[in-house]
Amino acid sequence: MSFTFILFVSIVVALLILLAWALRNPAQRKALKIEPASLEQPGPRHSTYLPLIRQALSPTDLEFLATRGSPGLARRARKERQRVTLSYLDELRNDFQRLLRLARVVASLSPEVGAAQEFERLRLSFRFSCRCQMVRVGLYSGLLVLPQLGGLSQMVSELAVRMEAAMQELGERAVLAAKLASSPDQRGVDIT
Amino acid sequence: MYKVAESLPVSLPTPGVARPSASQAGPCPTSSPLLAIYGCATMRQMVDLATAQRVCWDLSIVLRALLLCLVLWRRNVRSFPFFSIYLSANLLYALLLYVAYSVWGSLSVVSFWIAWGSQPVISCARALAVAEICRLFLAGYRGIWSLAWRLLVSCATFVLLYSFLASKHQWDFAILGANRALELAIAAVIVVLLVFLRYYQVVAEPTLRTLAIGFCLFSCFAVLNYTILEHWLKKYAGIWNFVEVISYLFCVLAWTWALRKPFPRPAVDPALLPGSVYRQLSPEINLRLRLLDERLSDFWRAEAPRS
Repeated sequence: MSFTFILFVSIVVALLILLAWALRNPAQRKALKIEPASLEQPGPRHSTYLPLIRQALSPTDLEFLATRGSPGLARRARKERQRVTLSYLDELRNDFQRLLRLARVVASLSPEVGAAQEFERLRLSFRFSCRCQMVRVGLYSGLLVLPQLGGLSQMVSELAVRMEAAMQELGERAVLAAKLASSPDQRGVDIT
Repeated sequence: MYKVAESLPVSLPTPGVARPSASQAGPCPTSSPLLAIYGCATMRQMVDLATAQRVCWDLSIVLRALLLCLVLWRRNVRSFPFFSIYLSANLLYALLLYVAYSVWGSLSVVSFWIAWGSQPVISCARALAVAEICRLFLAGYRGIWSLAWRLLVSCATFVLLYSFLASKHQWDFAILGANRALELAIAAVIVVLLVFLRYYQVVAEPTLRTLAIGFCLFSCFAVLNYTILEHWLKKYAGIWNFVEVISYLFCVLAWTWALRKPFPRPAVDPALLPGSVYRQLSPEINLRLRLLDERLSDFWRAEAPRS
């Protein structure tokens, strides 16, 4: 097998995989599914539960369980809390993705789009996803202390609040976009 | 139609033209890949394949004619002028070859040059048809279209250059290499466009999507076909054209299915936002994202030593 042969076959296989991914039914993307009406309230959702999560993750609780209860109970509680935290991290990321999607809708409905802005956002969202995965790995491996997730949540909340103020202005047009997306001729921006 | 594939004299038994037997044809020439393809087509063991190919070739001509009629009848020519030109040029090309084989024979130099010499015209028509489909996908979205066309042109240029550089640098393989580069560029452009649409959540119109998938799959298949041919010239020369005819047949069927109805022009273009909204919002979002990214990075670095 020559290098040229392997190269071109690999490129074609990669293109076919990308094609299949690009054509995947949007209905299968359940994780990020939102209702069009929620565009009118683009603020933070899961990040607002941060105080509750913080309380649940308080190390004093675990210390109390370790001293008053059995070590097994404390271990089980830690695992449960880790599971809750990971779930919370997923939801935070969904909040973040939702806001990013709104930004894409704004871009697609704008008469002028800055290439630099778009590439910057693409790069940053890619990096953010990578770092989220790293945090996840850190949680699993014990490298990260659970309450420190507050830093991430804080940032998402800040972004969401600023976005909310700006998006309020776009509310009516976003709903219009939603109607277009569900129009019979199926043209428009998919905001679901 | 587009290529040599559907029209090359390779294993195409032309009615009324005496085809040389295997003994007359002699050994398969290998000095030039195109000539090798030419010569191998006449071998006896390829007779059945040649018959099948001829049937498929005839069928594809009929289907192409039907598709063109369908486009005209459904008045889709107004929506797809370049696609219609491509279909017409392709059909004309196939008919011209048919006549050439009948008059000069499938092994004549004249037929050879008609078959391969018309490729640039057909390829240009094909590239324009693909560009037209790309444009229609994003009709109404001025902002992201201005971004998309630059991206697609850059992508096509890069793929073309890279394919040329990666191909065998031999004059004999120049036409095959050029065809493969073009096919790969077309496939890459369509895939990038569909990924782009998905990224911006623009709903692809089903007719356009089917047309694009047809172009893309055929191009991918053609790249594989050329690559295999280049690598195993002797073994593969007898069937490569048949394989390509079959793939094009399916492609034409997909297009016919897509264009069975008039192309629905959007009743109303998407309502665009004022330009100031994007200018105000986009830098703000990016700034926040950058801060978030930095914060994530910082807090990871701060926490890591705790282990």
